[in-house]
Amino acid sequence: MTTAGKNWAWFAAIVVIIIGLGIYLGTHRRAELGDGFNYSLDELSKVDPSLIHYKEAEPLQVDLEEVSALAVTPEGVVYAAGKDAVKVYPMEQTIAVDGTPTCLAIDAYGVLFVGFTDHIEIVPKNGERTQIVVPSDRAYLTSLAVDEDYVFAADAGSRKIWRFSHEGGEPFEIGREDGGGRRGFNIPSAHFDIALASDGSLWAVNPGYHALENHSADGAFLSTWGTSSVAIEGFGGCCNPVAIALLPDGGIVTAEKGLPRVKIHNPDGSLRCVVAAPTEFSGKGSGLDLAVDAAGRILVLDPDRKQIRIFEEKP
Amino acid sequence: MNDETKMDKRTFLRGAAAALICGAAATAAKGLSPRMVWQIDPEKCTRCGRCATHCVLAPSAVKCFHSYSICGYCDLCGGYLRPDAKGRDTGAENQLCPTAAITRTFIENPYYQYKIDKDRCIGCGVCVEGCSVFGNGSLYLQVDHGICVNCNECAIAHACPSDAFRRIPASEAYLLKSDQERRIR
Repeated sequence: MTTAGKNWAWFAAIVVIIIGLGIYLGTHRRAELGDGFNYSLDELSKVDPSLIHYKEAEPLQVDLEEVSALAVTPEGVVYAAGKDAVKVYPMEQTIAVDGTPTCLAIDAYGVLFVGFTDHIEIVPKNGERTQIVVPSDRAYLTSLAVDEDYVFAADAGSRKIWRFSHEGGEPFEIGREDGGGRRGFNIPSAHFDIALASDGSLWAVNPGYHALENHSADGAFLSTWGTSSVAIEGFGGCCNPVAIALLPDGGIVTAEKGLPRVKIHNPDGSLRCVVAAPTEFSGKGSGLDLAVDAAGRILVLDPDRKQIRIFEEKP
Repeated sequence: MNDETKMDKRTFLRGAAAALICGAAATAAKGLSPRMVWQIDPEKCTRCGRCATHCVLAPSAVKCFHSYSICGYCDLCGGYLRPDAKGRDTGAENQLCPTAAITRTFIENPYYQYKIDKDRCIGCGVCVEGCSVFGNGSLYLQVDHGICVNCNECAIAHACPSDAFRRIPASEAYLLKSDQERRIR
């Protein structure tokens, strides 16, 4: 080979190496993240179909911004709260409020209790509205429950359940840590729900412990149950369940976030069945709220869809 | 030299002077404008993982930041533990972070503190996803300006699918999640 030929061969080889190196570095400069970097809840979202005892009926569409809370009367009148209003179904009425409520409750006489961060607005059917102001500068109300005698308010900011008279007086604290084994409420985020049982006792979520606790209206601790687990029998994540409601037979309906699902537990904590599997929800379930009507239908407030989803027991 | 030629020269000189003045003004203005840096908007970030693979530095200049004022200090932490973890101890099989960049310290029952080891963190965002799904969202990604070389054309910004990267003044180089974190920093 002539010298010129050798030079051309060298030149061609160098060009090929440079182009090849450029292509390699351009496409293989850094390996993609491997399987160990995948975060998937797909396997955990699967639920044994034989556990699902409910089917979904036609939902109610909520025409409000920042849909935030749900309540239902024994007669089946549904109240849904959102920005600056509470909607009433099926009448399609609108009750104007100032701000976005964080929780709702309705008593046997149709008086509506609208919870905001630090106060409760009492909205009678007729007459003037009054307020109960929570005596805590850390107040963040997340749930209300009302019976003949008392108004109960779950305060995630203060990590307390307040009990007031209907006029807002006699504030009393339920569930306080007592140093004698009573552990107090562990509330990592603004998810702290309560519900009144037919025997007058109060069920409360202790979300940091993934537990439910039963207290008397006088504040006596009665029982607790709960398992920390993402398995179907337990509650996973940092603060679950995010919402509870009671069935007429005492069954406890629970809603969870993260792995959004709705289940029913017996009062002893054992799993009765699943109402809605995680695959039924499109979001993370952080804003789910629950209510049960007298017919035993389970109403789930789904803020991602702006719907009140209705689940009925399968025949 | 006739008047027409004189006029042309005068016009040329005026144009050249105007161009010089404008150029000088633009240069001066550039000097006065704040230095800009790249940062991630935590509200837009989708934890896609490209921060770990597309930075010109290895490991990436993107790191996980922790807002302690938002954190719930949970025992069952969604950012620290795998969702299907069998236990809540510090065993590698339970940890979500693939590079073991999060350390867990017992504070008092039932609270634990979580700290990010920046030397181990590669900015993959797996813990951010776990914290977002199950927790309060106290873990989030930020460009660490102690490491970032501030490329004019940021390779991650180019690859970011959610337009979460943007230029912000270097004087406030972080988009922190809470006011308290801003005060501390």
